[in-house]
Amino acid sequence: MYTRVNQRNLTSSQRARFVKAVIALKRSGSYDKYVRLHAEYFAADGESGLRMAHMAPTFFPWHRQFLLVFERELQTIDPQVTLPYWDWTTDNQPTSALWAADFMGGNGRDSDGQVMTGPFAYQAGAWPITYGVTDEKYLTRNLGRPDRPIVLPTEAELSDALEIATYDTDPWNSAPDTEGFRNEIEGWTVSESMGGYLHNRVHQWVGGHMVGAASPNDPIFWLHHAFIDLIWVRWQRLHPKSAYLPAQPLAADDPEHGRVVSLNEPMPPFAVKPSAVLDHRQFYTYEEG
Amino acid sequence: MTRRRMIRSGVTAVAAVSGTAAALRPMLTTGQQRANVAPDGAGADGAPQAPLAPGAVPALFDEVYRGRRIQGFPDAGAEGVAIKVDGKPLQVMRRVDGSWISVANHYQPYTTPLATARAAVDVIGRAELSMTTEHHH
Repeated sequence: MYTRVNQRNLTSSQRARFVKAVIALKRSGSYDKYVRLHAEYFAADGESGLRMAHMAPTFFPWHRQFLLVFERELQTIDPQVTLPYWDWTTDNQPTSALWAADFMGGNGRDSDGQVMTGPFAYQAGAWPITYGVTDEKYLTRNLGRPDRPIVLPTEAELSDALEIATYDTDPWNSAPDTEGFRNEIEGWTVSESMGGYLHNRVHQWVGGHMVGAASPNDPIFWLHHAFIDLIWVRWQRLHPKSAYLPAQPLAADDPEHGRVVSLNEPMPPFAVKPSAVLDHRQFYTYEEG
Repeated sequence: MTRRRMIRSGVTAVAAVSGTAAALRPMLTTGQQRANVAPDGAGADGAPQAPLAPGAVPALFDEVYRGRRIQGFPDAGAEGVAIKVDGKPLQVMRRVDGSWISVANHYQPYTTPLATARAAVDVIGRAELSMTTEHHH
């Protein structure tokens, strides 16, 4: 049992240890397998086959397990390290200390989007991109997407989504009429100009690698998803009578049969069922505020 | 799992990147070139194009956008379309509402193949696409 904290409350020593562990994982070659895994399990709902990480009810439990495996590997390097979370409703500016040179590093430069400051800048020597959408070897960002500006989701937008009492609904996909907490948070239901909704818009706002298939190339990925995970915790607290859905495997004549994982079916590539990770308190707690 | 898309490997050749600074941000290009192929088959410059080879699929679009040649072709796969940027495949996925996402824009759908291709160029700038995928058809 350990505690995940808001990144804004980390001490400078904790910031340094987190960065050091992440870079050690990168140097060992292990980090990039998480980048690949995330890309491989991004299946879209307009195609056939099982959907796991996105556009599906397993969005929350799959990412919880994904973060847990990553966090445990970080802890083999430094047992004191846990994943911090980024509350983007509060630390919502490119000037936030989150992006300082002793932590995530700053924005990409104008000419090519290359991050030039901090431990993950290419020139710092510790963060070559080996698995990316393009052949560029440096981390890129485009905070706020200035050519078509977007803003991070607000507290009010998040609160509205948290009001939704139903976890997810048939047909369990990303369609605008698939109502429910999961699809609202994932963020497929709003137009292009806003840059998507909650989770998706944060990816868009960071820009660079965070908008593509290889988004975990940017370490901010973990802090973003730790907050998404905390949002699930908050929703469970608000709706104690609501549960993960679908509870049962879908019937053979359901068009989504074989495409969606129900409560007690395993989530590839992990041999873990959603039911096994519903309660985060068996693994960690969140220090909120 | 039978037909689930698996984006795989695509480890970038670590070969020396050309001297061209790749631009991930939308470039401040002056005058975006758009060289749409005319309906009569003439190229953008008005010159007649070579006839399609037997079995070749005519392009849905073929233009130069921000200095990159983007092409879209009908495709029998689940995506319904194959997109290329400077000849390299841009992997796309179909959403249930008919829109597409691409590997360059995994969190933003676009309603047409052309918009998907242009948006990918907006993100990758002058960088070369590197990720390859396994086709499941």
